[in-house]
Amino acid sequence: MTDLAIQTQGLAKSYGPLGAVDGLNLHVPRGSIYGFLGRNGAGKTTTIRMFAGLARRTGGSIQVFGLDPQYDHIAILERTGFVIDKMLIPSMTGNDLVRFNRAFFPKWSDVLAKKYAEALEIPMKQKFSKLSSGNKTKLCLLLALAQGADLLVLDEPTAGLDPVVTDQLLRLIVDDFANDGRTAFLSSHHLSEVERVADWVGIIDHGKLLLEAQLDDIRIGYRRIRAIGRELPTQSPEILKLHRSEGMTEYVLRANADAFTARLRNEGATVLDVSPMNLSEIFLELVGKESHVPVEVLA
Amino acid sequence: MIFRVHPGSGVPIYLQIESQVKHAIAAGGLNQNDLLPPVRKLAAELRVNPNTVARAYQNLERDGVLRTVPGGGCYVNGQSPGLLKAEKIRRLKPLATQLAVEAKQVLLSREDTLKLLEDSFDELGDSHD
Repeated sequence: MTDLAIQTQGLAKSYGPLGAVDGLNLHVPRGSIYGFLGRNGAGKTTTIRMFAGLARRTGGSIQVFGLDPQYDHIAILERTGFVIDKMLIPSMTGNDLVRFNRAFFPKWSDVLAKKYAEALEIPMKQKFSKLSSGNKTKLCLLLALAQGADLLVLDEPTAGLDPVVTDQLLRLIVDDFANDGRTAFLSSHHLSEVERVADWVGIIDHGKLLLEAQLDDIRIGYRRIRAIGRELPTQSPEILKLHRSEGMTEYVLRANADAFTARLRNEGATVLDVSPMNLSEIFLELVGKESHVPVEVLA
Repeated sequence: MIFRVHPGSGVPIYLQIESQVKHAIAAGGLNQNDLLPPVRKLAAELRVNPNTVARAYQNLERDGVLRTVPGGGCYVNGQSPGLLKAEKIRRLKPLATQLAVEAKQVLLSREDTLKLLEDSFDELGDSHD
């Protein structure tokens, strides 16, 4: 028995010559809230569709609860709530869909469905086709949450939700999921929400995983150091990025900032500041273009 | 006790919770034998993973700040002076560094800077022990 809810090895998906996902090694621990981050078109949705057995991989392997979605996707669907395409039967109301879905899931809870309809403020008597896009998303989330799953896989769950409902949703994910040791995997590019709720993050760009780590370890490790001096070191395993301008050098370090700062001082440099970085800054350093807004303007 | 965490500050959330508990004890907001909110409840309130809150409580227990009664929650221990002093120093260190940097920047001598600090203490009166 593994303590990973989802694991992939060398996972790949290409559409003809176009590689959407390229050698992904993901490890999603049970009981975690895993934030799967990437820009538009980075390969997030393709990856999630492969988890659900909706897309066939072209290489590598996937295990969801130790099962392969290509062969055992029914068994996986029984234990996993997926919210991917946010499309349901248009002529059915929320209440119809609750009655319809109930039959498929042995652990379905009407009590939970009612609670979520109230918490997320969903008009349950309207036809799906008449709902606003935010309410469509909320109804999809309700159906996934009420099925009593051990794992939730949500693709951009907060897209189109207002801040109050987003906050309610995060609370539900923490309270009803993580608190029971169940696992939530959510893709997003809304970094501030993920930063709050997630304890693991994976950052994907151009189909490749750039970083997978515990968020608190990232917070401890990553530092921005600004220093002045001649012939400062440019090579060190912990240096992620190096920016130079007019006698000043800025380092972005993955780890060991204290030791590195001491080394700079020993080599005669003046260290101006060592500052922690939030997830959004780290994300920009990892996947951003070189020519983004200068740091002085952001500060 | 009201907790507030700042996910974007670059400080691990479990450390933020730890320092808020320690701060509340130092400031008299939490007293010996006060009960802390259960892990699940605090996690839901803060919208953070319960593992993160559990980690903060475990670290506080290891430091002797809290004690856990099996099935009965987390309670505040008596104050341990050694720990609190270390905590105070940890808090003030960045300010001291900042003062030293600024002094060097404007070419104020070490003696004058220390004198400045002493003057500030004098302005506060002799209430410290």
